[in-house]
Amino acid sequence: MTTLVETRDLTKRYGDFTALDGCSCGVREGEIFGLLGPNGAGKTTLLRLLLGFIRPTSGSARVAGFDCVAESLMVRTHTAYLPGEARLFRRMNGFQTLDFFSGLRPHCRRDRAAEVARRLDLDCSRQVARMSTGMRQKLALAVVLATEAALTILDEPTANLDPTARAEVLGLVREAQAAGRTVIFSSHVLSEVETTCDRVAIVRAGRLVHEQSIADLRRSHRITARLAGAWDAIPAELEAHATLVSRHDGRVVLESGDSLAPLLGWLATLPLDEVQIEPVGLGGVYDRFHRPVS
Amino acid sequence: MFDTAIWKKTWGDQRVLVLSLVALWSAFPWIYIWLSAQIPMPAFQDVLLRAIPQDWQRLSGVPFSEVATHAGRVALAFVDPVVVLAATVFGITRGSDAVSGQLERGTMEMILAQPVNRVAVFLSQALATLAAAALLAAVLFAAAASAVALGPWAGKVDPLRFLPAACNVFGLIVCMAGISACVSAADSYRWRTIGIMCGFYVFAILAKLVGRLSTPLAWCGYLSVLNAYEPQRLVGDPATSWRLLLGYDGVLLGIGLAAYAAGAWIFAKRDLPAPL
Repeated sequence: MTTLVETRDLTKRYGDFTALDGCSCGVREGEIFGLLGPNGAGKTTLLRLLLGFIRPTSGSARVAGFDCVAESLMVRTHTAYLPGEARLFRRMNGFQTLDFFSGLRPHCRRDRAAEVARRLDLDCSRQVARMSTGMRQKLALAVVLATEAALTILDEPTANLDPTARAEVLGLVREAQAAGRTVIFSSHVLSEVETTCDRVAIVRAGRLVHEQSIADLRRSHRITARLAGAWDAIPAELEAHATLVSRHDGRVVLESGDSLAPLLGWLATLPLDEVQIEPVGLGGVYDRFHRPVS
Repeated sequence: MFDTAIWKKTWGDQRVLVLSLVALWSAFPWIYIWLSAQIPMPAFQDVLLRAIPQDWQRLSGVPFSEVATHAGRVALAFVDPVVVLAATVFGITRGSDAVSGQLERGTMEMILAQPVNRVAVFLSQALATLAAAALLAAVLFAAAASAVALGPWAGKVDPLRFLPAACNVFGLIVCMAGISACVSAADSYRWRTIGIMCGFYVFAILAKLVGRLSTPLAWCGYLSVLNAYEPQRLVGDPATSWRLLLGYDGVLLGIGLAAYAAGAWIFAKRDLPAPL
């Protein structure tokens, strides 16, 4: 699969503060790539670097083969972007807003934007100044999701939306993928990322600390148990299948990286009580980096 | 380097301000000339030439004998605060909105997410502002010319003599808008851009006054862009007026357009902060 977005040692510093530190990653064509991290982790900085809004201190980034600094215009030709807090023109109404953005983007389908707005149950005749925050978000989503660009970047697209609209947006994201588009999906809502994305990256303090496919994640399990006897190290032949996450206060936590089957026989030989086996889930992975178990 | 959608949006943004100034400047010369005509010319000449110290001529920029004519009295309308302040406010308002205004409102992010060149965004806005400036100057000239031709002083002055003065008003708007847009291109807060421009304008007034009133400090006048705004000197002999205008508007338009070019360069190169 071709890589549509590629960053190499991408770094952005503001004086002494490093907003993004040596980020190297790739987003494959046709996938939905989740970007996770707490506020200020560097997610938006990464997205703004891709769009050429800010210049990297060092490193490089390419979208659809175009350099994000030198060929920013071509990058944006191939990209649709929803900012984290999309602000629109207060004096325009919804229809005028859709017309305006259609005028800025050649081959933009104005009728498609109106259709997306209708699906999101948005009254486009209302002036933006009189719209609620959620309505403005829907309008911005209509602008972005109607764009037939190779890459769609959504920075917290479901913020401020009601559950129905959230579901509709996630459906539209999947439709975009089905139409062959690539999506970068930045969000704080782990469940949305887990159900929508193909792959996820976790950013912490400006560094990309983890990348994993959701399919691998679904195969991972967490085994929690109370030790009723002595603990032996994980046998060498199983080390590729299991990781000891923690062992304290008489409790042990293991994680299986792929299939659970090879571990079951070994687990049966251990002095364990109160064994719980559950899917790791994105929350577990996220907590590993942002709320590490002591 | 030009984007029709941005041009149209800018016209929409400045529509209320432009229409307000069109209304103001359409009426102002009529009111001004009607009020001036209430003071008969001999009485006005008596006050101007005998009661006011002749040293004060320095402030007017032209001899009182020229002011004490019908053309001179109409020309004072072009240096009235209603014209000068409105032109300056329009220039600063539109120029400051170019970048820092939209960054502050957060709307620049959605615009620049589209495949549109930053320089094209900046220059399309600039062209809409320049077109509005030309429209306003034309309205002011039309109102002044029609008030002269049809008002109480009909037949006493050639209405076309006020065209260079109106061109000087255009130059002032372009200069203020250009400098404001340049500051705006480097700034992220519109209130700060406006503050800087207000300081610049006050400095320009003070430098011009000091340069006019003090012979040893006459050089201060050259520090002021307002030294090139002298519409009252442009209503005399047409040949002289057009030659003077070339110099004045050369300075004002030169500074304004150079500031626009610098602003476009700054905007194209700078980092854009995330909306606050």
